[in-house]
Amino acid sequence: MSCKPGEPCHEGVKRRRALAVLGLMAIIFVALSAVSFLGSRGQAVPAAVHYAGFDAVQGKRVFQSYNCMGCHTIVGNGAYFGPDLTKLYGKVGPAWIEAFLPSAGSWPTSGAVKLQLQDKAIAAEAGVDTIEAYLEKYPAAAERIARRGAHATLMPNLPLSRDEIGQLIAFLKYTSEMNTEGWPPTPRVDGLAFPQATPLPAPVRQAALQPAEEAGAAAAGPASAAAHGAELAEDNGCTACHAKDRERLVGPGWGGLYGSEVALADGTTVAADDAYLAQSILDPDARIVAGFEPGAMPSFAEMLDAGQVAAIVAYIRSLGEK
Amino acid sequence: MIRIEYETQRLSLRFFMVMLVLFFFQTGFGLLLAAQHIDPTLLAGTLNFNVVRAEHTNLGILWVLSGFIATILFVGPLLSKRELAAAWLIKVLFYALLAVVAWNVATQALAQQGVAGWWMGQPLLQEGLEYLEAGRIADVVILIGFAILCYVVLRTFPPLSQWNEIHWGLGLGVLALTLVWVFGMFFVERLDLQEYFRWYVVHYWVEGVWEVIHIALVGFLLVLMFKADVKSVGFAVFWGISLVWLSGLLGNAHHYFWIGTPEFWQFWGSLFSALEPLPLVFCFWHIYLDAHQDGKPIANMPAFAFLLGSVVLEQVGAGILGFTMTFALTNVWSHGTWVTLSHAHLALFGTFGMLGLSAAYFAVPVMRGATDFDQRPGRLAFWLVFTGMLGLAFAFAIGGTVQVFVYRTLGLDWFGGDVAPAMLFAKAMVPVFGIVFAAGVCLLAYDLLTLGLRERPAARDDTALPAPAGWGRRLSGWETGMWLLAMWVFGAVITLGLLSFNLHTVQQGSALFPYLIGGIGYPGLLLVTLFFVRRFLRSLEARGRVSLVPLELTAMPSPAGAA
Repeated sequence: MSCKPGEPCHEGVKRRRALAVLGLMAIIFVALSAVSFLGSRGQAVPAAVHYAGFDAVQGKRVFQSYNCMGCHTIVGNGAYFGPDLTKLYGKVGPAWIEAFLPSAGSWPTSGAVKLQLQDKAIAAEAGVDTIEAYLEKYPAAAERIARRGAHATLMPNLPLSRDEIGQLIAFLKYTSEMNTEGWPPTPRVDGLAFPQATPLPAPVRQAALQPAEEAGAAAAGPASAAAHGAELAEDNGCTACHAKDRERLVGPGWGGLYGSEVALADGTTVAADDAYLAQSILDPDARIVAGFEPGAMPSFAEMLDAGQVAAIVAYIRSLGEK
Repeated sequence: MIRIEYETQRLSLRFFMVMLVLFFFQTGFGLLLAAQHIDPTLLAGTLNFNVVRAEHTNLGILWVLSGFIATILFVGPLLSKRELAAAWLIKVLFYALLAVVAWNVATQALAQQGVAGWWMGQPLLQEGLEYLEAGRIADVVILIGFAILCYVVLRTFPPLSQWNEIHWGLGLGVLALTLVWVFGMFFVERLDLQEYFRWYVVHYWVEGVWEVIHIALVGFLLVLMFKADVKSVGFAVFWGISLVWLSGLLGNAHHYFWIGTPEFWQFWGSLFSALEPLPLVFCFWHIYLDAHQDGKPIANMPAFAFLLGSVVLEQVGAGILGFTMTFALTNVWSHGTWVTLSHAHLALFGTFGMLGLSAAYFAVPVMRGATDFDQRPGRLAFWLVFTGMLGLAFAFAIGGTVQVFVYRTLGLDWFGGDVAPAMLFAKAMVPVFGIVFAAGVCLLAYDLLTLGLRERPAARDDTALPAPAGWGRRLSGWETGMWLLAMWVFGAVITLGLLSFNLHTVQQGSALFPYLIGGIGYPGLLLVTLFFVRRFLRSLEARGRVSLVPLELTAMPSPAGAA
């Protein structure tokens, strides 16, 4: 493979031969490629996947718009800052992702997932309509709620709209249905039993797994409605979107809210009294605060009774002076 | 060469300067990424990780391309023995490059708001695909830029009948550069099909195009540095390019293992990409031969050091580390983890980045008329970036091995709670070596930007040169072969370490084998690399002391027999 000065090296002939072999390689490559995308393979395609009326192709656009691949991986490609998303939908189910995405800065609690299951379309996609059945069907969601519920995540809150969230979940449903030839490999052991897993104290784990009402009822006492409200707010996932101070996370901060004048999207103002706050919990879209989108917050009418709403309002009132 | 032969060669200077500035900022973004890995809340919501990473990868590509363009413009007239065609177009290319850089840096931040600028189904502003983050507007401008480069190169070259193998390499290289880019310019609905085409751009760029341009330019730089015979170097360039394309065309299959394409790709990918190191071994051997065809002192040590670094890191980063994770049975574990980062950083910066830096150290002093420049900052900068990058590769490899075990074997997927804490030691090593690297970048950027413009130092002190004994004794072909063998032995160890993840005992939760084997393989490979380059450079530096002593030419391996 050397050619000394002055020797005839027949470069032209060799170059043509190399190009011929290269052409053969290209034919093999093109043939393999053509076979790879035949419809008869039965590979999932996004055009055929829908989630609660949302389109997986639109979801792929959302996925690219937010450069999700810049932190996560998908089919193993991307950055390695966050976990791979390919099989997430199948593991944690739609209601957990629905609870997570609007307020990505904190991990969903069981109350927040339960709230999503009130939505018939989400429950239909999940195939179950109670939180107990959901956690049984999606053990990865149960594990996440138990270990991480209500903790801060390392992901920033993103300005995702309701539609974008639905579309993204449709895309994740599609990738979850893809045949990726056995990747990622299935673990053969329960990783939680190893010292590498962050342990949680047993009582915390149990409390987090209990449905919100029971936990709330157990803690309910006449002593302090505000303290009860604080617990309810955490259990139901309110604090994922509402900060204790004035900071805007996903929704408005609760600090200093009570008794203040709130500017509404229709240009009017309203005093943040008990009635207004209760209505905002039970029917959030009735009066939208200026600068926020309708539909961002779900209704808690099915989740909380009048006493629990009053307790949460009492908690918000207690933050009023901050 | 001590002065410019063709006036239009000077057009390369501005591209070299842009390359240095972009390299500086890319390193800065890299340091920021390292800090965000340690504290993920750093700048979260202000400058999110994905935006910083997009800037880091994009600037990385853009400065490497600037280096290529600069080098091609510098050697183009020498190769063609005439001035560059259409000098005004090159000035247009320069401003287009500046515009695209500014535009692209600005538009990447839109990902935080989820704005991609969809129009007629295409993302105009940014498209959120790894390495191809640039939106369609930037894509089109880049395509025009490549077309200008093609036009200038092909118009400058002599008629086809007079092309030597270096002309063929560069000519095909710039054409393929433009052609392959087109595959990244469409929105694809299917994820598997989109990844399939994304690797057309990414893999065929590095493996098919950049590698070809790299081989051709390394060949010609060797001709310039050692007065090697163009015809024999050209013949080696021909073989290098043939091997690259014959292994790399089907070698792309190693990207099609897990993206939703059929299982048969695992066979083709494992087979052909295992052959991909062949041209790199070939190139490695040739830099040894060309550097030893006579015993004259090296006139421009920084330029040669970076060229050697380029070829050696190509061997180690692209060749050996690429080889370790190219088999379906190892790739199933390394895929999607920090293990791949180790390969990517060494291969991309090492092979292509160092080539641009070598060319800059060769060309800038000539263009500024300062061939007796002070070489000490350049040599120091080489060692800083070289050891810094080897250290980074070490940190990524160790972090990756831990990540594979915790994330894949144990199945723990809480990055904040389980995976990141387990990787913390490796994550902390990244900024440590990153600072060493960044110090080198600052030094070389300052040195090259001001070379020939700042005050000349006193004459060189030759007593600092090493004695031609010990590390400085002549490097024989046999010894070089032993160093290369040692690198591959450690490469085999690393491969076994990745394979060991398939063992039953590892699957049952014992990390002993992968940690132990990886703990031997990675430091072993990187230290051998470090010491080999030191040995090589010391032996060449010692020539300054022995240049008057006649050499035993009989002791040198015959190029024909060895290759």
